[in-house]
Amino acid sequence: MEATLLSLAHGFSVALQPDNLWYAFLGCLVGTLVGVLPGIGPLSGISILLPVTFGLNATQAVIMLAGIYYGSQYGGSTTSILMRIPGEAASVITCIDGNAMARRGRAGAALCIAAVGSFVAGTFGLLMLTVIAPPLATIALRFGPPEYTALLVLGLIFLAYMSSTSLVRTLLMACLGLVFGMIGIDNMTGHFRYSFDLAELGDGIGIVPVAVGLFGLGEILATPSKHVTGEVISPKFREMLPTRQEWREAIWPIGRGSLLGFLIGIIPGSAHIISSFLSYALEKRISKHPEKFGKGAVAGVAGPESANNGASTGAFVPMLSLGIPTGPITAVLIGALMIHGVPAGPQLVSDHRDLFWGFVASMYVGNVMLLALNLPMVGLFVSVLRIPYAYLYPLIIMFCIVGVYEVNHSIVDVWIMLIMGLIGYALRKFSFDPAPLVLGLVIAPIFEQSLRQSLIMSNGNYFIFFDRPIALGLMLVCAILLGLSALSFVLKRKDWRDRLAKVEAGEG
Amino acid sequence: MDRRHFVAGSAAAAAALTVRPSFGQDAYPSHAITFINPFPPGGAADVVGRPLTAALEPIIKQPCVIETKAGAAGQVGGQVAASAKPDGYTLLIHIVSISGFAEVDKLFGRTPKFTRADFIPIARLTAGPMVLVVNDQQPYKNIKELVEDAKKNPDKLIFSSSGLYGALHLPTALFMKAAGIKMKHLPTNGGGPALTAILGNNAQVLVSSIAAASAQVKAGKLKALACFGNKRAAAMPDVPTLKESGYDVEFSLWVGVFAPKGTPAPIVKTLGDNIKKAADTDQFKTAIKNLGDEVAYLDSAGFAKFWDEDAKRVEAAVQSIGRVQG
Repeated sequence: MEATLLSLAHGFSVALQPDNLWYAFLGCLVGTLVGVLPGIGPLSGISILLPVTFGLNATQAVIMLAGIYYGSQYGGSTTSILMRIPGEAASVITCIDGNAMARRGRAGAALCIAAVGSFVAGTFGLLMLTVIAPPLATIALRFGPPEYTALLVLGLIFLAYMSSTSLVRTLLMACLGLVFGMIGIDNMTGHFRYSFDLAELGDGIGIVPVAVGLFGLGEILATPSKHVTGEVISPKFREMLPTRQEWREAIWPIGRGSLLGFLIGIIPGSAHIISSFLSYALEKRISKHPEKFGKGAVAGVAGPESANNGASTGAFVPMLSLGIPTGPITAVLIGALMIHGVPAGPQLVSDHRDLFWGFVASMYVGNVMLLALNLPMVGLFVSVLRIPYAYLYPLIIMFCIVGVYEVNHSIVDVWIMLIMGLIGYALRKFSFDPAPLVLGLVIAPIFEQSLRQSLIMSNGNYFIFFDRPIALGLMLVCAILLGLSALSFVLKRKDWRDRLAKVEAGEG
Repeated sequence: MDRRHFVAGSAAAAAALTVRPSFGQDAYPSHAITFINPFPPGGAADVVGRPLTAALEPIIKQPCVIETKAGAAGQVGGQVAASAKPDGYTLLIHIVSISGFAEVDKLFGRTPKFTRADFIPIARLTAGPMVLVVNDQQPYKNIKELVEDAKKNPDKLIFSSSGLYGALHLPTALFMKAAGIKMKHLPTNGGGPALTAILGNNAQVLVSSIAAASAQVKAGKLKALACFGNKRAAAMPDVPTLKESGYDVEFSLWVGVFAPKGTPAPIVKTLGDNIKKAADTDQFKTAIKNLGDEVAYLDSAGFAKFWDEDAKRVEAAVQSIGRVQG
């Protein structure tokens, strides 16, 4: 422990050198912009700026590039809250309650809570990274296909709690998402499924075009049919800050989101998106007022926004202590290190002490910088809402199209977004909740792949999910959750048709 | 602005627009050149392409932009480049697996989206032999022991790869065919996940690029048993080649630059000359050396000859895999 503190102190002496501070600031600034602007994601931001770092040393390069990555997670919630357009895939779920808060005139509070939650989660993740990274990373490696399958089963069970509408409607949307997730090359046999001879559909339907279409565009299309007042919300500065009550509602979700996000983040794979969904479902499950979710619950912003930042810090654990990429972004960072002559592997910590601890310390500094960057901008961002709808909405549609095109430079993605916009409109009209659809789409390809990989490993024997300790543990949690809901069902002795009818009536 | 001015102005603007291309042909390149990277950032085409474009810009005196068009294991970017205007402003950076797509499509009775004939090879930039690694929980000290064990227990060992018919699957298939063994395939969706699978002992064998595996080999987490080059790799001089061990297999992961078919010969020459200069800069060489790869420049003619031979290996590998029963 003492050695760790000494190393960290040494790291700060590296990170606080003026030029390193400057590059951390530059990375955080670019990251914030990348996060706020829909379309240009952290992945393209980092790879475009990679050649710029060729003139720097390895420490400066990784400090700056990583700043872009975790900085973008701060900004991703901004457009979700203000315009219901997810800036990053991990901010999809923030659209629901974040935007509902904005509609109640609490946009400033939502942005503040998202920024503070991100800061807490980022710093908490770093503390964990500093103290227990190596043993944790070894556990992450044991997360093979069977464990992943079990985690996703858990995710699917949580799904039922996700929605603000009835269970049947939720499951219907989830199934639709799972079906959309089937599109693309079958990774095991090479067959194209439902691709209609479009090579672009070979990798399946992207999450960003679907989420932007369903949430952003669908919302805009639905607006003219509602009664819109010409009145524009223009909150005073004092009203932009969260109230004491809102802070109180945010504290525990931030804490839980930080822990959950970090734990899920260290698992290799695209887990950071799932972490925000799981956090949302968890908060709704344990909330005393689950009916508030979807109508601007503070916990629905605080939890997921902390979780996705915790996950992005967690993703550094396997990268730094084992040299394995947890996703495309850490893969680019490893590539950047290698170009600078630093091989990322298990010996990174011992062979490149300055770089490792300097990097870790720079992230502490970077998180403070990001908070300082983001909080004053809340006022600026909120004033976007003062633009009358007639001018704002065409602009948003333009941002949606440009943003979606930018992700893969694919016109097919733009069409997917437009079609999803129409579907989103219809879903709103018939009061379906699109969130389970997006989660289904996220889960389907990973679930299918890890299930089939597991069965390859076990020669088709399903027992593989029960004889590996982590998988077994997750399966037990699933069983307990199912058992609990069944139990409460029996105890209440309520016919499910009655309950459904009541819920449906409540919605109409 | 009255109407007449407006009309005149538009006409002038339109004229300027139509004149520009013929203008451009006189002095290639007159504007930015786009390099299509068909893989997600961080892949071999990307990490080699970034230092190349950085070195090329001051030589060719025009911006060189990498545009990522990832999808379907490199097929989407290939298709985009194949159908791009052959004017020398849209080029493709691709890797060894480019030769396999048409063969795979044939296997499934599909019309190929593009074939090798749709491209003019301009330059090969790097080529590094593949290396066969096992994780530290396996008892094998050399490739012979692995083969013997796999012969006794077919389908016991599992190998991971970056995806079906991908750059890591193809050499493994060639090796299994030459050694007469069977192992189970655990496809993942990238080089990173394939490495994670073997480190976590969810797979035991992996054929990887030296660049991706060397740090793990140095740390003792992975053991390198054989290398797929025709001579031992500079980065791993102790690892014997498969040929030394008696298996006639050779496979390297190379990265090259292509232009769409129909690109005028003078433009191909200008590009080739300038890329040669860029590949010769210390800046590029250092970056590639740090990646653990080797600069293996071949000019257009040399690359074309090499590509013909290499494509035969890739096609043989695709055929030995055949259609996978799901």
